[in-house]
Amino acid sequence: MFNLVQLLIKLSGFLVFLVLEAICFSLVVRYNGNQEKVYTNTVNQFTGWLQQKSTSTYQYFQLYDENKRLAKENSKLLDRLANIGVNVQNPLDTAWADTLQPKYSFLDAHIIRNSINHHHNYITLDKGSKHGVKPHSGVVTDDGVVGIVRKVSQNYSVAMSVLHRQAIINARVRNKYYFGPLVWKSDNIHTFNLENIPKDAPVTKGDTIETSGFSTMFPPGITLGVIDKMWMDPGSNFFTIEVRSFAKLSNLQHAYIVRNIFKQEQEQLEESVISEDE
Amino acid sequence: MNNTIVTNILRFVGLVLLQGLVFKNIGVGWETFPYLHIIVFPIFILLLPLRTPKTLVIFLGFVIGLSVDFLYDTLGVHASAAVFTGFVRSLVLRMFEPRGGYNMAYSPTIARMGLGWFLQYSSILMFTHIFFYYSVEAFTFVYIVDILIKTFVSFFASMVFIMIFQLLLNQNE
Repeated sequence: MFNLVQLLIKLSGFLVFLVLEAICFSLVVRYNGNQEKVYTNTVNQFTGWLQQKSTSTYQYFQLYDENKRLAKENSKLLDRLANIGVNVQNPLDTAWADTLQPKYSFLDAHIIRNSINHHHNYITLDKGSKHGVKPHSGVVTDDGVVGIVRKVSQNYSVAMSVLHRQAIINARVRNKYYFGPLVWKSDNIHTFNLENIPKDAPVTKGDTIETSGFSTMFPPGITLGVIDKMWMDPGSNFFTIEVRSFAKLSNLQHAYIVRNIFKQEQEQLEESVISEDE
Repeated sequence: MNNTIVTNILRFVGLVLLQGLVFKNIGVGWETFPYLHIIVFPIFILLLPLRTPKTLVIFLGFVIGLSVDFLYDTLGVHASAAVFTGFVRSLVLRMFEPRGGYNMAYSPTIARMGLGWFLQYSSILMFTHIFFYYSVEAFTFVYIVDILIKTFVSFFASMVFIMIFQLLLNQNE
């Protein structure tokens, strides 16, 4: 203790120097336009660099899990490739059409920023217009839907997470084909609501929910979750359905941006019909 | 004792006014030659009595730098340089300590320490001060060549004025 005090006394000049110098620099940066610009610029560069480094370090530690996930996904894809043409889920002719002329292509992207604790959550991905990403593309992982790209810059794109109050995903009940919008109303990141399922539909608890493919953003058949609870509110013509989702949005590292090759064509056609009617 | 304090207070006020009201305008007046900037106020730090504790030297450097900054409207720029000079002063003093040690009662003036000693002492401190000042003014070492040219030119000009100042006020230390 005595030694420490002695050391402090010995260093007092230096400490006072450091403190006053820190005050001076904060004054310089606060009250002088030029220096402030240099400072903000440098700090931005530095934090950008730091964030990139920390992200890459963090990714390094996640490599094991990531590898496992990729291997799993690879096997799934190989499975699908092997069984192409005899896929029971899709009618045979669409399977052929898909093989001859692919409708969707997938671009893999790293998640460099993610949030799950707000009502409006966003995800930043490290692919942008340079890589061919367009706004309103879907973002998926192997275990579900992640979000929808909202804005694209040269190197990055920002997606609205499915955990966003305004995110609507066109969903359907697997093998029963009743469809409706899947929305996020709860405060739980695993609970979603499926709406517009008529009360005469033979839908039961435990049924799997998947993307319908009606929107141009997502291919059909991506698993979204299972029906956890369902009930009928009195006076309503529709079921109230709570869906438990599988997507692990809280430790997302890697995702695929969906590109629908015929998106423009389909949308133009649909729009032309609508504008004709108006 | 009291006499020393009064002298230093007068020197403080005089140098701040001289720097902020006279030399500031000389710099501005020579707009075509912006490399020259005469800085004399650090002589206050240089001439503080030898017995002044080093933390007090640094703090007084901060105060006079900030006062000059208020007149220059560059809050913090002169102050940071003056704080640095106050810090370096004790190191330079230790470096140039005469064999018999200092007579702590006095200020390190030409009359006490001799012209050669004072020239070395003041050149090192003034050079570091002016270099630090221009570095903070640019706030980046991208323009290091500019900073060095400005430092050299201003250093020689300032040294001339500091020597004049010393020789003029030598008698009544």
